[in-house]
Amino acid sequence: MNHFNRRDLLRFGAAFPLAMHAIAARADEKQASMKPPKRIIFICNSLGFYEPNFFPVGSGDLETSSYLKGMAKKDKMTVLQNLFHPGMETSNHDSEKSFLTGAAKPESPNFVNTISVDQILAEQMGGGTRFPFLSFSIYDRGWGCSWNNRGVAIPPMHDESAIFEMLFGKQDLAAKRRQLETDQQIIRSLNRDVQRLRETGDIGKIDSYRTVVAELEASFRREQFWLETEKPLVPNSLSDDQEFIFSAKVRNLLELAKLAFQTDSTRVITLSLDWIYGAIKVPGATGGWHTLSHHGGKPDVLEKLCRIETDIIKHLNEFLVALDGIKEGDGTLLDHTTVVIGSNFGDSSNHTCNNLPTIVAGGGYRHQSHTVLEKPTPLCNLWLELLHKHDIDVGEFGTSQSDQHLLPT
Amino acid sequence: MTRCCSNTHSGNRVVARRLIFKFLLIVLALTSLFGSALASAAQPTGLLREYCFDCHDGVAGEGGFDLAGSLNQGDFDGTLVFENLITAKMPPSDAEQPTAAQRQVILKWLAAKQKKITPISFRRLSRHEFVHSVNDLLGVDLDLTGEIPEDRGTRDFDSDRRIGLSKEMLASYFAVADKMLEQAFPNDGFPQEQIWNTNKLKDSHQTYNIYTRDYQDGVLFSWTRANNGNSYSFFYDNFDPPTAGWYELTFEAAKVGDFKEDVSIQVHAGKYYYADDRPQPQRLLEVISLGNRVPQSHTIRAFLEPGENVSVHCYSKHTFRKSDPQQGVYIKQLLVRGPLQDWPPNSFQTVFGDLPMRGSQSQGIARELPPQVPVVSGVPLAKSGYQSNLQKIGGSLAVSSFQKGMEKEKLQDGSNQTFWHTRFEPTLAKPPHFVVLKNPRAAEINGLSYAAWSGGNGNGLVKKYSVFVSEDGRNWSDAIVTGELEVRLANEQPIQFPAPIKPRFIKFLVNDAKTVDGRSLASIGKLDVVLPINRDFSRTKVVVDSDSPESLKLVVKRFAQRAFSTQLTDDELAPYIALAQQELVGLGHSRDDKFVRAAKVGFKAVLCSPRFLLVPGEHSSPGYGQAANLARSLWLSVPDAELLAAAADCGSSELSEEEIRLQIDRMLADQRSDRMIESLCDQWLNLRSWDKVSPSLKLYPKYDDLLHHFLPLETQAYLAHLIRENMPVTQLIDSNYTFLNQRLAQHYGIDGIIGQHLRRVSFGVEVPRGGLLTMGSILKVTTDGFDTSPILRGAWVSKNIVGTPISPPPEAVKAIEPEHGTAAARTLRELIDQHKNNATCYACHKSIDPYGFALESFDATGQWRQKYCVELPHRSTFQFRLEGYFRTAGDVDSSGEVDDRRFNDVFGLKELLLTDHRRVGYNFAKKFFEYVNGYAPSLEQRLALMAMINDQPNDCRMKDVVTAVVVESMSEKTR
Repeated sequence: MNHFNRRDLLRFGAAFPLAMHAIAARADEKQASMKPPKRIIFICNSLGFYEPNFFPVGSGDLETSSYLKGMAKKDKMTVLQNLFHPGMETSNHDSEKSFLTGAAKPESPNFVNTISVDQILAEQMGGGTRFPFLSFSIYDRGWGCSWNNRGVAIPPMHDESAIFEMLFGKQDLAAKRRQLETDQQIIRSLNRDVQRLRETGDIGKIDSYRTVVAELEASFRREQFWLETEKPLVPNSLSDDQEFIFSAKVRNLLELAKLAFQTDSTRVITLSLDWIYGAIKVPGATGGWHTLSHHGGKPDVLEKLCRIETDIIKHLNEFLVALDGIKEGDGTLLDHTTVVIGSNFGDSSNHTCNNLPTIVAGGGYRHQSHTVLEKPTPLCNLWLELLHKHDIDVGEFGTSQSDQHLLPT
Repeated sequence: MTRCCSNTHSGNRVVARRLIFKFLLIVLALTSLFGSALASAAQPTGLLREYCFDCHDGVAGEGGFDLAGSLNQGDFDGTLVFENLITAKMPPSDAEQPTAAQRQVILKWLAAKQKKITPISFRRLSRHEFVHSVNDLLGVDLDLTGEIPEDRGTRDFDSDRRIGLSKEMLASYFAVADKMLEQAFPNDGFPQEQIWNTNKLKDSHQTYNIYTRDYQDGVLFSWTRANNGNSYSFFYDNFDPPTAGWYELTFEAAKVGDFKEDVSIQVHAGKYYYADDRPQPQRLLEVISLGNRVPQSHTIRAFLEPGENVSVHCYSKHTFRKSDPQQGVYIKQLLVRGPLQDWPPNSFQTVFGDLPMRGSQSQGIARELPPQVPVVSGVPLAKSGYQSNLQKIGGSLAVSSFQKGMEKEKLQDGSNQTFWHTRFEPTLAKPPHFVVLKNPRAAEINGLSYAAWSGGNGNGLVKKYSVFVSEDGRNWSDAIVTGELEVRLANEQPIQFPAPIKPRFIKFLVNDAKTVDGRSLASIGKLDVVLPINRDFSRTKVVVDSDSPESLKLVVKRFAQRAFSTQLTDDELAPYIALAQQELVGLGHSRDDKFVRAAKVGFKAVLCSPRFLLVPGEHSSPGYGQAANLARSLWLSVPDAELLAAAADCGSSELSEEEIRLQIDRMLADQRSDRMIESLCDQWLNLRSWDKVSPSLKLYPKYDDLLHHFLPLETQAYLAHLIRENMPVTQLIDSNYTFLNQRLAQHYGIDGIIGQHLRRVSFGVEVPRGGLLTMGSILKVTTDGFDTSPILRGAWVSKNIVGTPISPPPEAVKAIEPEHGTAAARTLRELIDQHKNNATCYACHKSIDPYGFALESFDATGQWRQKYCVELPHRSTFQFRLEGYFRTAGDVDSSGEVDDRRFNDVFGLKELLLTDHRRVGYNFAKKFFEYVNGYAPSLEQRLALMAMINDQPNDCRMKDVVTAVVVESMSEKTR
């Protein structure tokens, strides 16, 4: 069965590279854990972090940041100060759309986004795993930080149990196999119609469909290929806390990210910590996150906001600790995972996009604890550097000027 | 200029309008052709100079706007100037005004000058449109929108053409199409209808027993709001939906208590949680209103999934948390029937229509299908009519020992408050402690279900166990399962066997148990067997008696033509037919379901086709395109038979305008247009954010699930009424009526409304309600649940009702940040009024903030207030109380000033808004245009929209505007 299907797979040209990738990847794994794969995760805290609590006061000393002093992995992280996205002066919350793309003026009515950095990485690094990338958010909003090469939002997944099910749940293999075969037949028929429509219809319209259906077909083939490999068996470690739903959600999404990396189910993850109007509850504070973020310097409001941000930092810290607790090759999972923690907002009260709070952790870099850039520097310089670090040879990305080697290896 | 908005449309008038419109187009074309010549020749620029440049000249121009300078820039966009002129916002009222004709000249000139932006020519079908269309195509009713990602992003309207189709969306359309096809044509056949009868509630924590008590033949519910303010769910036992489908739930119930209001039952569906008053993911199915004192049947229909249970929440405002209430909701019993299935099934009739059909068990002739006789499930109930699974399979129990009063029967009574306990008096029973479950009929068993006993000191709670099986009760196998159990958990804990087995004896051995005093004890609340889900209940397959490829072709063709709204040639159909026919051949000769299965594959290809998923589709004639457009705009669906017939009748030409108007009339009267009303409320009025905010229980303790459920329904009912009954657009702002029920009337402080059905209620002028602005739904959706925000509310009014054009905040403007220290602004109003101190901020905020100030008279749930409330801290754990935790603070000041006109309060604001009905009507027309077409109208189109707005407030009516916009959207250039 196994063999037969693989041959079947190879009949279709487009699936060939995919199959090779996967086989090669597995061969890699067989050569023991000599060279663990690189992974990367982008975490966008959409309402920023209160600057005075986030950035260290004394340059270079993370102990002087009230948020970061409790981080356990200070030696494996670098706080970058003075990064910004050019062209976001009036972008407000829309700037979240451009967090990983750097496309200017996301607030303008005819804005079209560009590909996000995680998606470029996924194209390169996603071949050998069951999922090329994963994209999570807290709420069902339909968009997060991941945008495809046509600038269309990739809807993130937000339901933890659905994500767990997708990653580790059992499936009825026979039924799934049948369904995938039928779906591919359906696509072949639809492609016949598409060919015909291209001759008579609105080419732009038909081609937009043709592109998407080709992507879907590729993902069906990928799914078909991976049906031959059992999903990793992982006990469900998600929290069911109904009191602090928000906290539990942040924790669970990070837990899922950890499990996905640990089981090598994917190597690229994007997590959008998005917001809605309305109250959330974390230990010690209940309130509208967004309303509180316009704190205006009022101490009582700030106190609540900081409790929320402290709670998020706490989960991020636990995430880093957990990654660092997993041995892999000659290091830990954290050493092989670049963790980017950032935001599209610098000052949450004014909702401005300067001096973006940014942390890079793990990834095996020689961390600098705290790097203050001399002048405002495009965040895209960092994105460019990360692309280079993952062997993607591009000259520029978004508004990048140069690779500044902020993360020495 | 002739207006087309009026109650009656004479044909002449319609023609006249079309002519005028065409004339206007010619003028516009000429204007743009000779643009530069005309401009210099005076008129429009001359007029602008005369009326505008006085103020807006040079960089120091009013509002920082240099009109004179801007005009000379190549990329000048006149939208802002256009909007200010067309809504008569500019020139300001105290300045010299251009005549109507002069105004038109400038407007046309600006429209012609606008850079041509060709909207994207297509869009993807939205998830709501997909689900409604597929439902109508298949003749089923399934709400699967939740399984498709919300891809609207930050756009207002689902139809927005800038939203591209993504792979993830297409993937979920593939998946949802499968689910819907399976529901319509189940591979295993339709399950036979069953009947359940229950009056037993599943266990709940003793804390909640004060909310219910045994009463006559059933249960009296007095209140379901728990200490923390959340609702406690009482779940019915003895009914588990065996399969997904529609069920009929009949509550035999009555109101108990001597007061005039109705009491209500909120019926929910969700997963059973033991003793959990935290918000659980449950769906509200329906609200039943009870006024009857003698039990009567109240029936609702609901779609239920396996794994869900039915729960009730009952409120009676008179008996909050009293241990012995004499008031509330008496539910004698719940009778369930389902899954309901029309016979022959509607889906088969809709799609296979005239082909011969039969039930798979019947050998009869065409259409002779087996009658559906309900099977009675469970036991017709006496009071404690609980039957365990073990009892259902004729089994019984034996135990190693028992304490008096804690016998083995307690394991099987459906309650974990009663329990079995090993003997401890007068002597202590020695281990091993075990329970043997006897299965004399050797029924198939999947595992065991264990629940700890709740309450008590925890002595004997099982920590570790092993399970053994035997055929004779003497010779036991090795342990087939060994494991640990959670001691603090009150829920059932399943113990899964490696595979389903049929042993006659099962031994549950306690290996380790909790002990508080060091003695060897064991106790269990519930122990039962888990049976395989009963999948072999009778199902009836519907067989289409055909294996003819020709018939299959006909069926797929008919389906595709309905879905695509077109006539298809054989060539066009070929890929779809070939697919289905290939499947038919592939399935072989022996199967009697091959025809339906093959057709399903063809249908799925149709539902995933670009012809179906991209709008506009491919249509064989313009009439079919218009039919599709009408159905999508007003029903979020595909055309019905009547629309398709109209399209077929007009051959290769367009539908006549008269025909379009007749169809719009018919379609608005049809219930399917409720979908359009709901979408408008969600997308235009932003009620889609409804569930995202829960008001603070400390500030708004009376806000409850009932209110949350009914507030948006008021808005939908009101908007539906305005459109269907063709009421004046002024009623968007104000009227002397709205649609209320008992709960909403209580909320608004209106007396004498009894029962929870919505009805039209009129009131006097002193009541601030009537119109959208003062509806609870709108007032709530513009807050974060704690405080009101005049800016958010003001922006809502400004954008959605008044239509003030707002330019984005200029670059390099810092948001207002209050100063710290002694100079700190004290009230919110003072804070916001800081906008006045900054000319750049004030330019826009003067058209936002005042509306919000007027609405400050309403709190975050929409209740009238004169003073603000300030939240107070609570001691230790939050305890819900009806009086809340707040104190009153400063007075509300709801006065303000818009366009140099002052108002004192919301009444004044409404009056002020009503002085210019054209602005409100024009804004509604623009929003509706965008809703239908998926892009904002160009200036040229806006001129046409403004021309639809009747000068007389009473003659400018909602349905007329809706009709005119839809007619306009049917024309070639708008599509």
